[in-house]
Amino acid sequence: MKKTSFHILRVGLAITFLWIGVLIFKQPEAWEGYLQPWAAGLLPIPIAQAMTGTAILDIAIGAFLLFDFLPWLAALVGAIHIVIVLTVIGITDITVRNIAILAAAIAIMADSLPKAFTDKIMSWQKTEDQKNQDQPLEV
Amino acid sequence: MTSLALLFTLSAIGISETVYLVRKRIASEKPICPIGGGCVTVLASKYSKMLLIPNDVLGLLSYVTVSFIAAFLVIGVGPMFVWNSALKILVAAASLMSIFLTYLQWRVIRAWCFWCLMSAFTVWLMGIIILASAAV
Repeated sequence: MKKTSFHILRVGLAITFLWIGVLIFKQPEAWEGYLQPWAAGLLPIPIAQAMTGTAILDIAIGAFLLFDFLPWLAALVGAIHIVIVLTVIGITDITVRNIAILAAAIAIMADSLPKAFTDKIMSWQKTEDQKNQDQPLEV
Repeated sequence: MTSLALLFTLSAIGISETVYLVRKRIASEKPICPIGGGCVTVLASKYSKMLLIPNDVLGLLSYVTVSFIAAFLVIGVGPMFVWNSALKILVAAASLMSIFLTYLQWRVIRAWCFWCLMSAFTVWLMGIIILASAAV
Protein backbone atom coordinates (compact mmCIF):
# COMPACT_ATOMS: atom_id res chain seq x y z
CA MET A 1 0.00 0.00 0.00
CA LYS A 2 1.25 3.49 -0.72
CA LYS A 3 2.40 5.31 2.40
CA THR A 4 -0.11 8.17 2.11
CA SER A 5 -3.11 5.91 1.63
CA PHE A 6 -1.96 3.73 4.53
CA HIS A 7 -1.82 6.72 6.89
CA ILE A 8 -5.19 8.07 5.75
CA LEU A 9 -6.74 4.65 6.39
CA ARG A 10 -4.92 4.34 9.75
CA VAL A 11 -6.10 7.73 11.03
CA GLY A 12 -9.64 7.17 9.73
CA LEU A 13 -9.89 3.80 11.44
CA ALA A 14 -8.37 5.26 14.63
CA ILE A 15 -11.05 7.97 14.73
CA THR A 16 -13.77 5.34 14.19
CA PHE A 17 -12.56 3.16 17.07
CA LEU A 18 -12.01 6.15 19.39
CA TRP A 19 -15.42 7.65 18.70
CA ILE A 20 -17.25 4.32 19.11
CA GLY A 21 -15.45 3.90 22.45
CA VAL A 22 -16.57 7.36 23.57
CA LEU A 23 -20.18 6.66 22.49
CA ILE A 24 -20.25 3.34 24.37
CA PHE A 25 -19.01 5.17 27.50
CA LYS A 26 -21.77 7.75 27.02
CA GLN A 27 -24.63 5.23 26.90
CA PRO A 28 -23.51 1.64 27.51
CA GLU A 29 -27.11 0.47 27.89
CA ALA A 30 -27.92 1.60 24.33
CA TRP A 31 -25.26 -0.78 22.99
CA GLU A 32 -26.31 -3.71 25.19
CA GLY A 33 -29.39 -4.16 23.04
CA TYR A 34 -27.28 -5.17 20.05
CA LEU A 35 -26.05 -8.27 21.84
CA GLN A 36 -27.83 -11.51 20.92
CA PRO A 37 -29.45 -13.23 23.97
CA TRP A 38 -27.29 -16.35 23.54
CA ALA A 39 -24.13 -14.20 23.60
CA ALA A 40 -25.31 -12.23 26.64
CA GLY A 41 -25.84 -15.54 28.43
CA LEU A 42 -22.24 -16.55 27.84
CA LEU A 43 -20.80 -13.47 29.57
CA PRO A 44 -19.08 -14.28 32.88
CA ILE A 45 -19.47 -10.64 34.03
CA PRO A 46 -22.44 -8.21 34.11
CA ILE A 47 -23.26 -6.83 30.66
CA ALA A 48 -22.61 -3.22 31.79
CA GLN A 49 -19.07 -4.15 32.79
CA ALA A 50 -18.55 -5.94 29.48
CA MET A 51 -19.65 -2.79 27.64
CA THR A 52 -17.23 -0.64 29.67
CA GLY A 53 -14.47 -3.11 28.82
CA THR A 54 -15.42 -2.90 25.14
CA ALA A 55 -15.27 0.90 25.29
CA ILE A 56 -11.80 0.80 26.88
CA LEU A 57 -10.62 -1.71 24.26
CA ASP A 58 -12.00 0.42 21.41
CA ILE A 59 -10.28 3.55 22.77
CA ALA A 60 -7.00 1.68 23.27
CA ILE A 61 -7.09 0.32 19.69
CA GLY A 62 -7.90 3.82 18.38
CA ALA A 63 -5.12 5.46 20.40
CA PHE A 64 -2.51 2.91 19.24
CA LEU A 65 -3.55 3.45 15.61
CA LEU A 66 -3.64 7.24 15.94
CA PHE A 67 -0.18 7.45 17.52
CA ASP A 68 1.12 4.93 14.97
CA PHE A 69 2.37 2.79 17.85
CA LEU A 70 2.40 -0.95 17.03
CA PRO A 71 -0.27 -0.39 14.34
CA TRP A 72 -0.14 -4.04 13.24
CA LEU A 73 -1.00 -5.21 16.77
CA ALA A 74 -3.77 -2.64 17.18
CA ALA A 75 -5.20 -3.58 13.78
CA LEU A 76 -4.96 -7.31 14.59
CA VAL A 77 -6.77 -6.85 17.91
CA GLY A 78 -9.26 -4.55 16.15
CA ALA A 79 -9.94 -7.15 13.45
CA ILE A 80 -10.46 -9.92 16.04
CA HIS A 81 -12.69 -7.57 18.04
CA ILE A 82 -14.83 -6.81 14.97
CA VAL A 83 -15.11 -10.52 14.10
CA ILE A 84 -16.41 -11.14 17.64
CA VAL A 85 -18.81 -8.18 17.31
CA LEU A 86 -20.10 -9.55 13.98
CA THR A 87 -20.63 -12.94 15.63
CA VAL A 88 -22.41 -11.77 18.78
CA ILE A 89 -24.73 -9.17 17.24
CA GLY A 90 -25.72 -11.11 14.14
CA ILE A 91 -26.94 -9.50 10.92
CA THR A 92 -28.26 -5.99 11.56
CA ASP A 93 -28.43 -2.60 9.80
CA ILE A 94 -24.80 -1.88 10.75
CA THR A 95 -23.30 -5.20 9.64
CA VAL A 96 -22.04 -3.79 6.33
CA ARG A 97 -20.21 -0.99 8.14
CA ASN A 98 -18.58 -3.51 10.47
CA ILE A 99 -17.42 -5.45 7.40
CA ALA A 100 -15.81 -2.28 6.03
CA ILE A 101 -14.09 -1.66 9.39
CA LEU A 102 -12.90 -5.28 9.45
CA ALA A 103 -11.49 -4.98 5.93
CA ALA A 104 -9.70 -1.75 6.85
CA ALA A 105 -8.22 -3.33 9.99
CA ILE A 106 -6.96 -6.34 8.02
CA ALA A 107 -5.45 -4.05 5.35
CA ILE A 108 -3.58 -2.02 7.99
CA MET A 109 -2.39 -5.15 9.77
CA ALA A 110 -1.15 -6.72 6.51
CA ASP A 111 0.68 -3.55 5.53
CA SER A 112 2.33 -2.85 8.87
CA LEU A 113 3.47 -6.30 9.97
CA PRO A 114 7.02 -6.22 11.40
CA LYS A 115 9.72 -6.83 8.76
CA ALA A 116 11.16 -9.75 10.76
CA PHE A 117 7.80 -11.49 10.59
CA THR A 118 7.29 -10.94 6.84
CA ASP A 119 10.90 -11.99 6.18
CA LYS A 120 10.26 -15.22 8.09
CA ILE A 121 7.17 -15.95 5.99
CA MET A 122 9.09 -15.21 2.78
CA SER A 123 12.01 -17.46 3.73
CA TRP A 124 9.59 -20.24 4.76
CA GLN A 125 7.81 -19.87 1.41
CA LYS A 126 11.15 -20.00 -0.45
CA THR A 127 12.12 -23.17 1.40
CA GLU A 128 8.81 -24.77 0.48
CA ASP A 129 9.26 -23.77 -3.19
CA GLN A 130 12.80 -25.18 -3.14
CA LYS A 131 11.54 -28.46 -1.67
CA ASN A 132 8.90 -28.74 -4.40
CA GLN A 133 11.49 -28.11 -7.12
CA ASP A 134 13.94 -30.67 -5.70
CA GLN A 135 11.34 -33.43 -5.61
CA PRO A 136 11.43 -35.59 -8.77
CA LEU A 137 8.30 -35.54 -10.84
CA GLU A 138 6.28 -38.72 -10.54
CA VAL A 139 5.37 -40.25 -13.90
CA MET B 1 -23.20 16.38 19.79
CA THR B 2 -22.46 16.78 16.06
CA SER B 3 -20.13 19.69 16.71
CA LEU B 4 -18.31 17.68 19.39
CA ALA B 5 -17.95 14.75 16.97
CA LEU B 6 -16.41 17.13 14.42
CA LEU B 7 -14.11 18.67 17.03
CA PHE B 8 -13.04 15.21 18.16
CA THR B 9 -12.34 14.17 14.56
CA LEU B 10 -10.34 17.33 13.84
CA SER B 11 -8.34 16.95 17.05
CA ALA B 12 -7.54 13.34 16.09
CA ILE B 13 -6.32 14.54 12.68
CA GLY B 14 -4.23 17.17 14.49
CA ILE B 15 -2.77 14.53 16.80
CA SER B 16 -1.74 12.35 13.85
CA GLU B 17 0.01 15.21 12.03
CA THR B 18 1.83 16.53 15.12
CA VAL B 19 2.90 13.01 16.12
CA TYR B 20 4.37 12.67 12.62
CA LEU B 21 6.31 15.94 13.00
CA VAL B 22 7.53 15.07 16.51
CA ARG B 23 8.76 11.67 15.29
CA LYS B 24 10.57 13.18 12.31
CA ARG B 25 12.21 15.80 14.53
CA ILE B 26 13.36 13.22 17.09
CA ALA B 27 14.73 10.99 14.30
CA SER B 28 16.39 14.06 12.67
CA GLU B 29 14.65 13.18 9.39
CA LYS B 30 13.12 15.56 6.87
CA PRO B 31 9.33 15.41 6.78
CA ILE B 32 7.60 14.81 3.45
CA CYS B 33 6.55 18.19 2.09
CA PRO B 34 3.78 17.56 -0.49
CA ILE B 35 3.02 21.24 -1.26
CA GLY B 36 5.20 24.32 -0.92
CA GLY B 37 8.55 22.68 -0.31
CA GLY B 38 9.47 24.97 2.59
CA CYS B 39 8.80 22.56 5.45
CA VAL B 40 12.46 22.16 6.43
CA THR B 41 13.06 25.93 6.28
CA VAL B 42 10.08 26.63 8.53
CA LEU B 43 10.59 23.73 10.93
CA ALA B 44 14.29 24.50 11.37
CA SER B 45 13.75 28.24 11.87
CA LYS B 46 14.19 29.98 15.21
CA TYR B 47 10.41 30.34 15.40
CA SER B 48 9.87 26.56 15.66
CA LYS B 49 10.01 26.80 19.46
CA MET B 50 8.04 28.84 21.99
CA LEU B 51 9.67 29.19 25.43
CA LEU B 52 12.04 26.31 24.59
CA ILE B 53 9.11 23.99 23.79
CA PRO B 54 8.88 22.86 20.15
CA ASN B 55 5.69 24.01 18.43
CA ASP B 56 4.83 20.45 17.39
CA VAL B 57 4.77 19.37 21.06
CA LEU B 58 2.60 22.38 21.97
CA GLY B 59 0.26 21.48 19.11
CA LEU B 60 0.13 17.84 20.14
CA LEU B 61 -0.71 18.76 23.74
CA SER B 62 -3.44 21.15 22.55
CA TYR B 63 -5.03 18.56 20.26
CA VAL B 64 -4.90 15.85 22.95
CA THR B 65 -6.54 18.28 25.41
CA VAL B 66 -9.27 19.20 22.90
CA SER B 67 -10.00 15.52 22.20
CA PHE B 68 -10.25 14.75 25.92
CA ILE B 69 -12.53 17.75 26.55
CA ALA B 70 -14.75 16.81 23.58
CA ALA B 71 -14.96 13.22 24.89
CA PHE B 72 -15.77 14.43 28.44
CA LEU B 73 -18.52 16.70 27.09
CA VAL B 74 -20.04 13.84 25.07
CA ILE B 75 -19.88 11.32 27.92
CA GLY B 76 -21.16 13.93 30.39
CA VAL B 77 -18.22 14.01 32.79
CA GLY B 78 -18.57 17.14 34.90
CA PRO B 79 -18.04 19.99 35.48
CA MET B 80 -19.52 20.69 32.03
CA PHE B 81 -19.28 24.49 32.32
CA VAL B 82 -15.53 24.28 33.01
CA TRP B 83 -14.95 21.95 30.02
CA ASN B 84 -17.07 24.14 27.76
CA SER B 85 -15.17 27.28 28.75
CA ALA B 86 -11.78 25.54 28.58
CA LEU B 87 -12.55 24.27 25.07
CA LYS B 88 -13.47 27.75 23.83
CA ILE B 89 -10.44 29.40 25.47
CA LEU B 90 -8.04 26.73 24.19
CA VAL B 91 -9.31 26.83 20.59
CA ALA B 92 -9.33 30.65 20.63
CA ALA B 93 -5.72 30.74 21.89
CA ALA B 94 -4.65 28.09 19.35
CA SER B 95 -6.37 30.03 16.54
CA LEU B 96 -4.53 33.24 17.46
CA MET B 97 -1.27 31.34 17.70
CA SER B 98 -1.91 29.81 14.27
CA ILE B 99 -2.57 33.28 12.79
CA PHE B 100 0.74 34.48 14.24
CA LEU B 101 2.67 31.43 12.97
CA THR B 102 1.09 31.71 9.51
CA TYR B 103 2.06 35.39 9.42
CA LEU B 104 5.64 34.40 10.31
CA GLN B 105 5.70 31.93 7.40
CA TRP B 106 4.30 34.53 5.02
CA ARG B 107 6.27 37.66 5.96
CA VAL B 108 9.28 36.69 8.07
CA ILE B 109 10.48 33.21 7.08
CA ARG B 110 9.05 33.57 3.55
CA ALA B 111 8.47 29.85 3.15
CA TRP B 112 5.38 27.72 3.44
CA CYS B 113 5.20 24.54 5.50
CA PHE B 114 2.43 22.13 4.46
CA TRP B 115 2.07 20.57 7.93
CA CYS B 116 2.02 23.93 9.71
CA LEU B 117 -0.68 25.23 7.36
CA MET B 118 -2.68 22.03 7.72
CA SER B 119 -2.51 22.39 11.49
CA ALA B 120 -3.54 26.05 11.25
CA PHE B 121 -6.55 25.18 9.06
CA THR B 122 -7.50 22.37 11.46
CA VAL B 123 -7.50 24.82 14.39
CA TRP B 124 -9.41 27.51 12.46
CA LEU B 125 -12.00 24.93 11.40
CA MET B 126 -12.41 24.02 15.07
CA GLY B 127 -13.01 27.69 15.85
CA ILE B 128 -15.58 27.99 13.04
CA ILE B 129 -17.40 24.87 14.32
CA ILE B 130 -17.53 26.28 17.88
CA LEU B 131 -18.81 29.65 16.60
CA ALA B 132 -21.38 27.99 14.33
CA SER B 133 -22.65 25.65 17.07
CA ALA B 134 -22.97 28.63 19.47
CA ALA B 135 -24.94 30.58 16.87
CA VAL B 136 -27.44 27.77 16.21
